[in-house]
Amino acid sequence: MFAADREVGRDLAEVDWAGTPLGPPGEWPQSLRTAVSILLSSRFPMWMAWGEQLTFFCNAAYRRDTLGRKYPWALGRPANEVWAEVWDDAGPRIETVLTTGEATWDEGLLLLLERSGYSEETYHTFSYSPLRDDVGDVVGMLCVVTEDTDRVIGQRRMATLRDLGSDPSLIRTEQEVLAFADGQLGHNRKDLPFTLTYLFDGDTARLAGASGIGAGHPVAPATLAAGASGGVWPAAVPAGGEAVLVPLTGDAFAGLPTGDWSEPPLQALVVPLLRQGGAPYGFFVAALNRYRVLDEGYRGFVELAAGHIASGIGSARGYQAQQRRAEELSELDRAKTTFFSNISHEFRTPLSLIMGPVEELRDRLAGAEGPVLQELDVIRRNGLRLGKLVNTLLDFSRIEAGRMQARYEPVDLAGVTAELASVFRSAMERAGLAFDVDCPPLDEPVYVDRGMWEKVVLNLLSNALKFTFHGAVRVVVGTAGEHAVVTVTDTGVGVPEAELPRVFERFHRIENTRSRSNEGSGIGLALVQELVGLHGGTIGVESGEGEGTAFTIRLPFGTAHLPPGAVAPEAGDTVASATADPYVLEALHWLPGGDPAGAADDPVGRAGASTAGTGPARGTGARVLLADDNSDMREYLTRILDGAGYQVTAVDDGAEALATARRDIPDLVVSDVMMPRLDGLELVARLRGDTRTASVPVLLLSARAGQEASIEGLRAGADDYLVKPFAAAELLARVRANVELARLRGHHVRWRTALIDSLQEAFFVCDESGAVVEINAAFTDILGYGPENLPYAPVQPWWPRAATDPEAHRRVGDAFSGLPERDQGSYTVPVTHRDGHRLWITVTYSKAEDPDTGRQVTVGTLRDVTAEHYAVRRETALAALSTALSTAASLSEALAGALGGLKTLWGARSVVAALFGGGDTPVLTTTEEPRNGESRSWEDLPAARREALTALRGQPSLTPVTEDGGAGVPLEHPDGPLVLWIDLGAYRPFTAEDQLLLSLLAGHLAQGLVRAQQIDQQRETAIALQRAILGPARLPDGFAVRYEPATRPLEVGGDWYDTVALPDGRIGIVVGDCVGRGLEAASVMGQLRSACRALMLQYAGPSRTLMALDQFAASVPGALCTTVFCGVLDPATGELTYSSAGHPPGILALPDGTTRLLEEGRSLPLAVRPGRQRPEATCTLPARSTLLLYTDGLVERRRRPLNTGIDQAGDAVQDGRDVPIDDLATEVMSRLAPVGGYDDDVALLLYRHPAPLDISFPAESSQLAPVRKALRGWLAQCDLPANTVQNVLVAAGEACANAIEHGHRHAPGDAVRLRAEALVDNLLLTVADSGRWKVPRPDPNAHRGRGVALMRALMQDVSITPGPSGTTVDMQMRIPR
Amino acid sequence: MTSPLTLTPGRRADGTPRLAVGGEIDMSNVGSLAEALDRGSGPLVLDLTAVEYLDSAGLSVLFAHADRLELVVTPLLEPVLTVSGLSGLVTVRGPGDDGPRP
Repeated sequence: MFAADREVGRDLAEVDWAGTPLGPPGEWPQSLRTAVSILLSSRFPMWMAWGEQLTFFCNAAYRRDTLGRKYPWALGRPANEVWAEVWDDAGPRIETVLTTGEATWDEGLLLLLERSGYSEETYHTFSYSPLRDDVGDVVGMLCVVTEDTDRVIGQRRMATLRDLGSDPSLIRTEQEVLAFADGQLGHNRKDLPFTLTYLFDGDTARLAGASGIGAGHPVAPATLAAGASGGVWPAAVPAGGEAVLVPLTGDAFAGLPTGDWSEPPLQALVVPLLRQGGAPYGFFVAALNRYRVLDEGYRGFVELAAGHIASGIGSARGYQAQQRRAEELSELDRAKTTFFSNISHEFRTPLSLIMGPVEELRDRLAGAEGPVLQELDVIRRNGLRLGKLVNTLLDFSRIEAGRMQARYEPVDLAGVTAELASVFRSAMERAGLAFDVDCPPLDEPVYVDRGMWEKVVLNLLSNALKFTFHGAVRVVVGTAGEHAVVTVTDTGVGVPEAELPRVFERFHRIENTRSRSNEGSGIGLALVQELVGLHGGTIGVESGEGEGTAFTIRLPFGTAHLPPGAVAPEAGDTVASATADPYVLEALHWLPGGDPAGAADDPVGRAGASTAGTGPARGTGARVLLADDNSDMREYLTRILDGAGYQVTAVDDGAEALATARRDIPDLVVSDVMMPRLDGLELVARLRGDTRTASVPVLLLSARAGQEASIEGLRAGADDYLVKPFAAAELLARVRANVELARLRGHHVRWRTALIDSLQEAFFVCDESGAVVEINAAFTDILGYGPENLPYAPVQPWWPRAATDPEAHRRVGDAFSGLPERDQGSYTVPVTHRDGHRLWITVTYSKAEDPDTGRQVTVGTLRDVTAEHYAVRRETALAALSTALSTAASLSEALAGALGGLKTLWGARSVVAALFGGGDTPVLTTTEEPRNGESRSWEDLPAARREALTALRGQPSLTPVTEDGGAGVPLEHPDGPLVLWIDLGAYRPFTAEDQLLLSLLAGHLAQGLVRAQQIDQQRETAIALQRAILGPARLPDGFAVRYEPATRPLEVGGDWYDTVALPDGRIGIVVGDCVGRGLEAASVMGQLRSACRALMLQYAGPSRTLMALDQFAASVPGALCTTVFCGVLDPATGELTYSSAGHPPGILALPDGTTRLLEEGRSLPLAVRPGRQRPEATCTLPARSTLLLYTDGLVERRRRPLNTGIDQAGDAVQDGRDVPIDDLATEVMSRLAPVGGYDDDVALLLYRHPAPLDISFPAESSQLAPVRKALRGWLAQCDLPANTVQNVLVAAGEACANAIEHGHRHAPGDAVRLRAEALVDNLLLTVADSGRWKVPRPDPNAHRGRGVALMRALMQDVSITPGPSGTTVDMQMRIPR
Repeated sequence: MTSPLTLTPGRRADGTPRLAVGGEIDMSNVGSLAEALDRGSGPLVLDLTAVEYLDSAGLSVLFAHADRLELVVTPLLEPVLTVSGLSGLVTVRGPGDDGPRP
């Protein structure tokens, strides 16, 4: 009776049964004997109790899983003694069974067992069923138990981790992140009775979060010393990145919260909150469940929870820093843009309207009383000063916008600088300073923009004068290598050392410094630095407080450093222009006893340096453009007109006159008729042909006398005609008359011009051919193209070049070429500024009719929308990046997707990302196509690029660097520093806007990667836990199973498979599918699976099992409509009885190549109609047929009939007919997987009949007959022809005989293993022993040699593999169809 | 445990000694067959009709006596005899073909 289990049976036999109410076993009733042998022969954990004292029995499985150390003490004892600690739970249940005769069922019941030497939290699912004696009375009970501890605890921890990661809002503040985490941790007080989160803050650790414990508790101090190694929590250990286990003993830990338990925790695990690439953020204290040991799983759970908190903190901090930075940048940007665009036109116009009348008043009141003139001078001086400031600000605005129109011409830098310096001489002398100008001529010219250079020198001199009270100011020009060096040195107050780095900062003023004036904007030196920078030069400063200051400018010789389009030939000697006036006037005003009025008349002795065009306005102030090719005549006329108070601009010929007039419209043109290039008559015609200059009066001078000549001139459109020689008075009279006349006549034209010029929007007029014939000042400001080159015929020069940017060229072409045809419209297009930088403009235009000519013209305005364009682009790019990151299923996919996005955004040639992780070489991700099927690696990069990327790695994070036709930015990847490189290909500007955008995107990407990494980790955790819940630990032979969670969104689900070994040798097979996804479905699945297992053991029939499962499912929320295929297979005969609860049909692939569906025995899904009878069907699996059971995720696809999927699955099984069953499972899963992975979870179970034969036997010849018998029986199951069977038998027999012989020789009695597996068309045989074979020799007398020959002759493929631990023979035989 | 083997001596109609063997012949029991064959020396009809299994151990014994044996076998054993070359050395008859009549 006890023989069914050797060990437990032996111990049972040793029990002193006579001392129990049951008496000696020989007297036991048959019913008890039967019950005991069922118990012992089952591999399912069971115990039973019998008789008045409920005497305890159990089997080996129960001993192993549950009883633990109580074995064998428990055998034969009263059950209430054995299970004293849980008798409160178990007793009443057993009582119910005994009194009612009805079975009980408990799912996942918590029991605190003492089996491992401590009170251990365990969960068991069990049923108590009645045992009856020979007359049918209930005298005992049988308990079938499954231990669910791992499942229950695993699910609980998984739920906590999922909840921690389920924060619905993407990123929040640190406080919110911690509060959320505490809330989630507080839901699991079994594993975490209480938790504390401390964050390091300098030398202290601050309590930032807690769950399960009050904030004022003694073990939760608000602060701790971060370096503490003692005290309540040893903060120094986690600060060093290590975890530590703290025993919660002693007075300090009295009165701890107990969590969900009745006793307080005994230990706490303190783990660091690790920060990527930095010291830990803080640490996490997790009080531990005293009823579980701290095993690897528990520790891993605590670390994962801490990891969630740490990454939450990291995200929150990163986000806030990023947010702050982005806001600051864009705020600054906005403020600057607004300020500079407002100032530009708002200041200039009123300034001119102040300065003009002031000049006139000064002239008119020249003889007036002193005070009036002095006040006028105050107005004038301050007006000039304001004008200077506005001009400086505008210069900045232009430099910022890249609109500074420089014209670099070769100049004698020493001469020009000396001349500029001389302007300041009298002011310096008046200030009592020595002024030393040492400017020997340089060997070669330096390319400078004269206007800019003037500002550089004048600013430095003005600065020196302002801060120097004694001593000298010195200007030196010299050469150092490839540079011209200009030094301005003073002996002034100097700059404090701390302020030196900020000297060139905009709007930065050094406070509390003695100076000649408190006025000042703090902008002069900043402008100087910008201007020197535009020249490709550098400026440096050295200073000692109280000793003086030296500014040193270095300018390169040559033109290589300058934009090619901006280099011009030498234009001639025009020095000391009006620019100097404000500087000098301002400086003089600082000086004690300075006389501004006197200085204004001739402040710098300019009479000596006076040239054309710069005369002071003492006459009417009208501006006269004078064109004559004879220089004597030009000087003479200039002198006359200048003397009469006109502002004269003198030029050599008509062409220059036309350009000058278009750039700056004069009040009158006085022109000679005979001139080279463009003569006077033609000049008149051109001026009249341009709307803007059509009304400018022209006075022609000619040597030709006579009526006809004058008529010719007048006909050409000249207003007056004067024949040489003429008297000065006559000329002046004509000039005055024409100017007056024109003023009257041209009032509306000037009004219109003034109006258009004052428009902030650029204005233009196109003629019928599409050529731009008129523009205003704003147009020039925006595009850089001035009126002097009008008309601009299409293709206009601001079109992007077709060769380098075809797409932009096409867009502009579409917009501009259509202008003449369409009535009105608006476009936003990219254009190229004259200096080469890219702009985005919005053009709005409409048709109009020129009232003078009746011709159609197009009038339009354009607006610089570059900033708006980039703002929109920024938003779009961020949104696109977010989308790419959120749809990525893994970290590497997220990075690859982001690179693709960056490539598209910048139209880049390629984008690479080098990850400097732990390995020897960085890991490369690139948008480039793989070469020869291999993705690009670090070594594939050019050496220069590798160096550049490595250098970038050390740069500050998220700060873009532009070089070599590309841009790079370093950022933090979860696995280490990452450097992004955008290869822009041919030279393309990467503007400040681009850099800002790249910085924002990189920040966004860094955060996205952290999130993607979390998803990766969660995925691994989820799959590991699901697999732990699933599936029998040991699968019967002949079966193969698979489970795959849905790929996106990654979720476990409710699918399962199961096999149950039934006591009679048959095998229960279950494949089921719970409705829904996620943890909830997985938990329902776990319960159904356990229940179904137990029920199969109880009923052994599929329909009855399912009917009982109906009842159970009805009581489990979420189990309704679960589909299940339930079958019972007799592995000996292949007979399968099955019943399907709404599950897709099983597929049976037959050896003849056809496929059958198991469609009978069908009824409703679970719990839909509990109590209703379920049908079952029987079929016999033919030899070498394959059974496929699955859940719908395998075959169901959108927009495709289910049958298609089922057919595909059948084909896949048929095609794998000669593949071992486990490989076949892999093949089916991969072949049916949709592109991108399964979108529902899939469970799959395969069985091929018959199951492989696998026997081990001792190497003794007496074993040959029984082994042969077993093989013969198995071969019969395979349904093979008789002679095939005999051949296999002999071949296998020979192999076994060899194994036995060698086994005898080397290790007598060692085991030999025979394995036979039937594929559909093939038979595989393996015989393995522990001996070494001799190489077979062709010796006819040696019958062993004959044995090998027989094997080779009878089988199709024989291989003998000797190895150190034994010899293996593999044989194959093709099965004839 | 050795494989079961029965050895039944007798004579054919023509008087030739005849040994009928039944069961399975393998290395565990081939000794008893060898002993039985070693006992005689003249021609012998070896009736293997009732033998269900014969491997190289059995064949070795038959080869040793090939010059005096005449075999009676069912088609079940024919492949082994052919493959080993024994059927080229001895006369092999089917069951019911009891050899030359006297």
